[in-house]
Amino acid sequence: MAKWLAVMVITLLTSVLGAAGGTPEALKVGFIYVGPVGDYGWSYAHDQGRKYLETTLPDVQTTYVESVPEGADAERVLTQLARSGHKVIVATSYGYMDTMLKVAERFPDVVFLHCSGHKRRANMGTYFGRMYQASYLTGLVAGTMTQKKRIGYVAPIPIPEVIRITNAFVLGVRAVNPEVNVHVVWTNAWYDPATESEAANSLLDIGADVIATQSDSPAPVQTAERRGAYGVGFNADASKFAPEKHLTSAIWNWGPYYAAAVKQVRAGTWKSTDEWWPIGTGIVGLSPFGPVVVDTLKNLVEQRKQDLIAGRFDVFWGPIKDQSGKLRIAAGEKPADEMLLGMNWFVESVVGTVPK
Amino acid sequence: MNWPVALEKRSDPSPRLRYVLPAVAIGIGLLLGAMVLSFMGAHPGEAYQEMARGAFGSVYGLSETLVKATPLLLAGLGVGVAFRAGFWNIGAEGQLYMGAMAGTWMALTYPGLPAPLLQPLMIVTGCMAGAFWGLIPAVLRTRWCVNEIITTLMGNYIAILWVDFLVYGPWKDPRAFGFPFAPPLLQTARLPSMPGNRVHLGLLLGLLAATGLTMLLKHTRLGYEIRIIGLSPGAARYAGMNLTRTTLLVMALSGGLAALAGVCEVAGVQGQLKHGLSPGYGYTAIIVAWLARLDPWATIVVSVLLGGLLVGSDMLQIAMNLPVAVAYMLQGLILFSVLAVEFLVGYRLVWKDAR
Amino acid sequence: MELSLVPLLLEAAVRAGTPILLVALGELLAERAGILNLGVEGMMLVGALTGFIVSQQSGEPWIGVLAAAMAGVMLSCVHAFLSISLHANQVGSGLALTIFGTGLSGLLGKSFVGVPAKGFAPIAVPWLADVPLLGRMFFQHDPLVYVAYLLVPGLWVLLYRTRPGLKVRAVGEQPRSADALGISVVVVRYSCVLAGGSAAGLGGAYLSLAYTQMWVDNMTAGRGWIALAMVIFGGWNPVRTALGAYLFGGVQALQLRLQAIGVTVPTYLLMMTPYAFTILALIIASASRARGHVGTPTALGRAYIRGE
Repeated sequence: MAKWLAVMVITLLTSVLGAAGGTPEALKVGFIYVGPVGDYGWSYAHDQGRKYLETTLPDVQTTYVESVPEGADAERVLTQLARSGHKVIVATSYGYMDTMLKVAERFPDVVFLHCSGHKRRANMGTYFGRMYQASYLTGLVAGTMTQKKRIGYVAPIPIPEVIRITNAFVLGVRAVNPEVNVHVVWTNAWYDPATESEAANSLLDIGADVIATQSDSPAPVQTAERRGAYGVGFNADASKFAPEKHLTSAIWNWGPYYAAAVKQVRAGTWKSTDEWWPIGTGIVGLSPFGPVVVDTLKNLVEQRKQDLIAGRFDVFWGPIKDQSGKLRIAAGEKPADEMLLGMNWFVESVVGTVPK
Repeated sequence: MNWPVALEKRSDPSPRLRYVLPAVAIGIGLLLGAMVLSFMGAHPGEAYQEMARGAFGSVYGLSETLVKATPLLLAGLGVGVAFRAGFWNIGAEGQLYMGAMAGTWMALTYPGLPAPLLQPLMIVTGCMAGAFWGLIPAVLRTRWCVNEIITTLMGNYIAILWVDFLVYGPWKDPRAFGFPFAPPLLQTARLPSMPGNRVHLGLLLGLLAATGLTMLLKHTRLGYEIRIIGLSPGAARYAGMNLTRTTLLVMALSGGLAALAGVCEVAGVQGQLKHGLSPGYGYTAIIVAWLARLDPWATIVVSVLLGGLLVGSDMLQIAMNLPVAVAYMLQGLILFSVLAVEFLVGYRLVWKDAR
Repeated sequence: MELSLVPLLLEAAVRAGTPILLVALGELLAERAGILNLGVEGMMLVGALTGFIVSQQSGEPWIGVLAAAMAGVMLSCVHAFLSISLHANQVGSGLALTIFGTGLSGLLGKSFVGVPAKGFAPIAVPWLADVPLLGRMFFQHDPLVYVAYLLVPGLWVLLYRTRPGLKVRAVGEQPRSADALGISVVVVRYSCVLAGGSAAGLGGAYLSLAYTQMWVDNMTAGRGWIALAMVIFGGWNPVRTALGAYLFGGVQALQLRLQAIGVTVPTYLLMMTPYAFTILALIIASASRARGHVGTPTALGRAYIRGE
């Protein structure tokens, strides 16, 4: 009797323990966002990437914390994520940089990924996408479609990244038509649909017939269509808000990057690098073209995109002059990333200033 | 409308009730919150457990709760003393920003000073800036009878915009890639903190302030005047008290305390002046002061509890995968419940006799 | 080119000022009765979301507007109950309402982000819209703008020329005396707060159905707080409040337009002006006591407890 009992117990134990040992533990990945996922803009795009990660890698479990202010709270949230078993933590705003560095120091076994930053550690890498390349392509479209030779640009907050992307757009416009002026209006907020709409109105009032935006909501594109102008969106596909006159949007596609990084971490091959992924990787791109974009224009854009991917051409290759006419990038010069990262001047054809 | 019940003021509010009722209120709030959590598909018990664990269940959690409680305590004391004198200071947020700004100014202008000299100077400058900011609405009220709820509220907007102007403009850190931060404070300007966590000198200052304030209110003439003016300005005037002088002193003190919260946030926690330095601490401090019934000791307890609620709310997102909106709703519901139950301390329901 | 922009600027001032005005008018009524409601930002958000959802589901924006107003009423009920019946601290209750409303709208709005809905299109008022210059400025707007136009004189007449308005003002100035005269302080205050809530809902609906036709988390961007300031700026008088709201909208529209034509603008200093002006206006009003009452309802912010 006792023998049978012992056998049963041992069988039970081994099966239980065996099962526990056999199941791979789900890899926990944590994301912190500076805004709400419901901004249909920057944080929304990152969250789409997170969802992609979950569907592509089923044994990965993701957590997200939204609207985390860049300051005292960020350090706490990052630490809490690290303490609760997350092996990869992603911070999606520049302002988290120093905080993440501090936390990464305390948790050397966790991989930290910081978007748009420039400080790294052995366990903290930075990543970003060359959105300016996609922005350039949208400029090609806008520059072709404008008939009044006046384009309006709604810009959020004057940081170098925003300035750079704006410049890329203008360079794209100039590539097809150097006579066009791009008027830039700052809303001084990352998202505030009503103010963005008013900014679009102010540009339409001075006769712009294409409105491009870099702010988080599609409000400017929507306003543009209501007043008969074309629209170019940003961060997310704006076509639903301007079905007829939407041209295209420069969008993020973070999913593949997140999937690749997590796979590397799982395989133990991840190394801390400073990645600034170009358009060829698919991390940035264009949303589907709107109905008014003709095939010849689509082909032009595709051609330039292939040029960018193949390295035959890049947006900021010289010669490039600034608003005052001063030559900033010489002919034949291919500026280093540092220069692009610190860009605080506008190119020619921009009407508007960089607030100091 | 004729309700069958009426409110009757209690002639002798029981001290027991004062502590039991808030606990009951929090319980009601948690119950309402449980409904929201269930609606979201989360298990309320598990959620609350995670929150408690996040806020108080570990040394780290507790330290973070204290870090969060520090500005609430300091600003809450400031707001409390003003309310005690019958001056509705809604401007703690602006006074906080002014303090942070002035403290930063001191650190940026005299970076070479050694820490034992620099930090007290930062604190003094910060408090003076806050006192100044608090005195403006005080003068407006004593000279021209301008309602202080309004002027202090306006002062918040202006102070926040002023700091924005500085960090986007003249004080913008040239190495911050254009982001709106002032240069980070040097190590000499950073308040000392405990080894291993972020609890900093500000907490000690807060406890000292609470002690000091209690002594002020109970044992000094000024404290006596403050209490009388708050209870009955008419009686105070009749007794020959100088309302103007007391009001000005109180608001200088109140603004100074709120500003101290700002200095501590900048020098103790965040390390640099930036847009959005305070996620509304000045407003939350009003709630803290009011829940603590303007008593300095109670303010300590309430600020820790509220700090715990805010820190615990993170776990709703991290451990329970709920969106941040749920945390807001929970906070709102708990506040509503506490506010609602408050009145039972001073009043009770009685059945009206049938006539 | 600059001169021709002035009428467009005024048109923009009206457009930008309307959401603030709608909320401010409601808050004005509540404050006149003595109740301070700091929860307007939360009510505005809930109103914006409700209006958007109902309009999107029903396809009819006016039903959305109605729903938004009702949502505002329901939320303000909480504040009314707490501050009037339970004598709770009005500041605390209002702040809690804003926190709660922000959370509620964020939660329920999650599935409506990135979804377009049918909103309002500008309607030209027949005959008036053809008036040169002024027509374009004032009479070619979304219908809710016209609602605001009517509410301003309507509220003025209500407050200064009707018996209910007299009751409201009495309750806000001297609730004890009003009570002694047989005016039900409770009923008057409840009515005003709930009406204020409906106006806040309307203001929110304007943002999500007229100004733009979308819902985005936290889309009010602080306009509720600005509305609070405008009530004070206007000295609790509907006409002056309207001027303040349109002025505020105008300042914002101006700085955008100056940028559009290439003029550099010191944004933050410019944004401070409405608040600084408010304080200035208050000082001037207070200093000139000869002109009479400042306008702050004497009982504002204080619970009225019978028998004390």
